[in-house]
Amino acid sequence: MVISPDQINLLTGVIGFLFTLLIFSYVLGDNPLFRVAVYIFIGVSSGYIAAVAWWQVIMPRLVYPLMSAIVSGSMIEMGLMAVPLLGALLILMNASPRLMGMGRVAMAFLVGVGAAVTIAGALIGTLIPQIMGTINAFDLNAATTRGIGFVEAVSNGVIILVGTVLTLAYFHFGARPKADGSMHRLGLIEVLAWGGRVFIGIALGAVFAGVYAAALTALIERISSLINFITSLLGNFL
Amino acid sequence: MRVITVFIAIVSGLAVLGGYFLQDFFPVLTQVQTLVLNWAIILAGVAALGGILNLISVHTGKVRHSEKGSIYSALLVVSLVVTFALGIILRPEHSAMKVVMSGIIIPTEAALMGILTISLLYAAIRLLRRRVDVMSIVFLLTAVFILLGSATLPFGDIPLIGTFARWVTQVGALGGMRGILIGVALGALTTGLRVLFGADRPYGGS
Repeated sequence: MVISPDQINLLTGVIGFLFTLLIFSYVLGDNPLFRVAVYIFIGVSSGYIAAVAWWQVIMPRLVYPLMSAIVSGSMIEMGLMAVPLLGALLILMNASPRLMGMGRVAMAFLVGVGAAVTIAGALIGTLIPQIMGTINAFDLNAATTRGIGFVEAVSNGVIILVGTVLTLAYFHFGARPKADGSMHRLGLIEVLAWGGRVFIGIALGAVFAGVYAAALTALIERISSLINFITSLLGNFL
Repeated sequence: MRVITVFIAIVSGLAVLGGYFLQDFFPVLTQVQTLVLNWAIILAGVAALGGILNLISVHTGKVRHSEKGSIYSALLVVSLVVTFALGIILRPEHSAMKVVMSGIIIPTEAALMGILTISLLYAAIRLLRRRVDVMSIVFLLTAVFILLGSATLPFGDIPLIGTFARWVTQVGALGGMRGILIGVALGALTTGLRVLFGADRPYGGS
């Protein structure tokens, strides 16, 4: 049976309409309709992720190379593919409480690689670019090319630098807990941390505004899709 | 077993780090890094499948024991198994899977994101009622100013608010955000180094 693109669009529209309504029913409070939609959503998403992991990771990176190595008879290739195959079997052993200990070997490998990628990512992807960004805020040549005057460029750079330092002071790790559970810091650090609190409030407020704007856009898009679906359905019948 | 797991974590981590920082001195480390990362991607894929198997196992258990809400668990398991079977038989690029993606996953995600509008508004109001301090006041004022400054209002822009909101986003918030990012990066760096030194062993065997 061949389904035409129009039928696929109609089916997608009907299902999308239903799921949007079920999710929006949460406005009335947590209810069975909302739960049905959420549980199906989790199941479908997990199934989709599993299928994608199967076809885009396990088959092309493990199964096909392993089969090719077996067909070519190359011992080196077979050896190289035997390692992830063994790791995969060890990970699947985690499913059994008796064999869980064996799975730790593969998990240790994953954690080691993850830690190394995290270190490199934090250093190359965050620390160095952010520090360079703070320094470059004082680059007057770059500011001139962007049409920003000397005073504005320097004052902006100072505010960014002060904000960065004060925020870091707020997260000062040398604080010690007092007997009553509150944190005890040096007097100067305490003053700097108070300023850091203001900058963190501004930063999180900006993030909140961004997330809220994105959520509002999604809400408008969903309401608009509901209206479009109903009007197109009525247009077909009337 | 503990020594083996620590050894594997350290060696695999050093192999990847070597590829990042010592490739100019030892070009072969790039190939080693690529190989190790490829293995890690395969194992991450298998671990994802293992996690999904565990999800099925937990919810099947709830259905078997007729626990509260087991009907939802049954729905979850059925939808998961059907989608996975369709994905394996037809592949994720098939039009049936596109219906699943465009009909269920994307609309539900967008609707949940839309619902967030109400949840966030409620949380902001609760914040003012439960905790009135410098941070919460600055937080809410910044959010309101930025939203007012970036919104398209029927009577046009409010004077100065738009300029102020842009300045807050590009300068005022940047300092705090940069501090947070550097703090997070320092924390991630420390955690990663503790794993590579064997001080932290989140894979078990402590």
